Amino acid sequence: MVSEKPIGFLGGVDPDSGLIIERNHDLKGESVGGKVLCFPSGHGSTVGSYVLYALAKKELGPRAIVNQTADPVVVVGAIIAEIPMIDQVDIRQIETGDDIEVDGEKGIVKIWKRKEVKKEK
Amino acid sequence: MHLTSEEEKIFDGESGWAYQVSMRILVRLGDLFGATELMPIESAHISGVSYKTLGDAPIDFLEALMEAGAKVKIPSTINPSSFDKEYLAKRFPEDYLKKQSRVIELYQKMGVTPALTCTPYHLRQPSTDCHLAWSESSAVIYANSVLGSWTNREGGPSALAAALIGKTPNYGVHKAEDREANILIKVESPLRNETDFGALGIHVGKLLKNEIPVFEGLFYYTEDDLKQLGAGLASSGMTTMFHYQKKSGEEKLETLFVEANDIGDTIGSLSTSSDQADLIFIGCPHCSFKEIQRVVQALKGRKVKKGTELWVCTSSHVKEEAEKYVGIINRAGGHVLCDTCAVVTWIEKLGIDTMMTNSAKTAYYSPTLNKVNVALASVTRCIDEACK
Repeated sequence: MVSEKPIGFLGGVDPDSGLIIERNHDLKGESVGGKVLCFPSGHGSTVGSYVLYALAKKELGPRAIVNQTADPVVVVGAIIAEIPMIDQVDIRQIETGDDIEVDGEKGIVKIWKRKEVKKEK
Repeated sequence: MHLTSEEEKIFDGESGWAYQVSMRILVRLGDLFGATELMPIESAHISGVSYKTLGDAPIDFLEALMEAGAKVKIPSTINPSSFDKEYLAKRFPEDYLKKQSRVIELYQKMGVTPALTCTPYHLRQPSTDCHLAWSESSAVIYANSVLGSWTNREGGPSALAAALIGKTPNYGVHKAEDREANILIKVESPLRNETDFGALGIHVGKLLKNEIPVFEGLFYYTEDDLKQLGAGLASSGMTTMFHYQKKSGEEKLETLFVEANDIGDTIGSLSTSSDQADLIFIGCPHCSFKEIQRVVQALKGRKVKKGTELWVCTSSHVKEEAEKYVGIINRAGGHVLCDTCAVVTWIEKLGIDTMMTNSAKTAYYSPTLNKVNVALASVTRCIDEACK
């Protein structure tokens, strides 16, 4: 799932449901749960790190995080929540619905299947 | 980042999960921001304490750390909580009190001193030129700019990780070359009081990105004025440090001009109401001894009028020191509260609609964090309003 806007986890994502609740957000109402969540960067309060931890504990967290620019709040959140995370990725090359593989240790993102390709077939 | 063999072992989990996760936080941040190694620090100050701002999410993480046997390696303190034991504790539901007490207890079990203040430097002043890992943006900027200590602007979890390891990655303002001013702010209007200093901070903080400003034109100021300036800068921006005395050569820097109407307009835009205030709040950041004296001077023997609350917030340490003045404020009908402040408690649940304060930082945050209207004016005018 690819977000156009940055995500602020405190106040932007409901820790009890995993739904994006930030006002005027392009993914408002979508769940971050179980997805490879791609967004430009984080923003806002450092408590956001703890929200990622809470989501992961309830199994409502993203499977992996891919960022354009690393924000310490998201980086720290991903570490304590044990969510694989990669930054400095041009997320414009990824589209919602693509199958992608993330190796957080090596820092590799592989896009396996493109939506457009599927359509052409 | 280069790690010693001892640090490598912690990274690999040989000292258990709590230290491993802490080491991973420090190493990842260090790698991200170009650190070469971890450096020892003198103290840590940790934000993420008030149950009002935290909610339930972090409690599980703190529980897990405590369960795993985490203990801080260096003197460490925590930020204010959501209520004080004497006055506000009685006004909130039992469940809130239990959760807040648990948060504080968990930090204590990890060896953290429950200072419950945003001004830990009033309790123990760090030495000049020592390295720290502090969160709480107003304390970070004060430590770098006024006390001459060195600390990045840590988030709550990274300050806690640094406390548990006793070290921090050596990037940012831990390096001398990254502490030099790179933008000149010419203040072309005299600042009248602490509120003007705070408003200057809010105004300039919005205009800056990562720069370190040097101010020219600040002629008369106290350390408390500089505290307000820093708190403002760090609220509307990301500023970690400022200089308040221009050095030769700095006149060549890129220059921003601040005029009288910039300060006036900032105060105007931060004041969301001209209604009568239900609460007068002094003490963001927490009052120094001198600021408590100023409240007493401004009271001039008058009493706080009925239907209005006066809160003067400070650390338990300063409250004890200023006992004589605390007595005077109490007898005038005010409350000197320690361990908390109006921003990190639930004032909206106490029937407060309009708050008057001398703190530009509070005026910046409270309309959204506390859902109240704010009037911003100097301590003298705040106390006049309380007694009118």
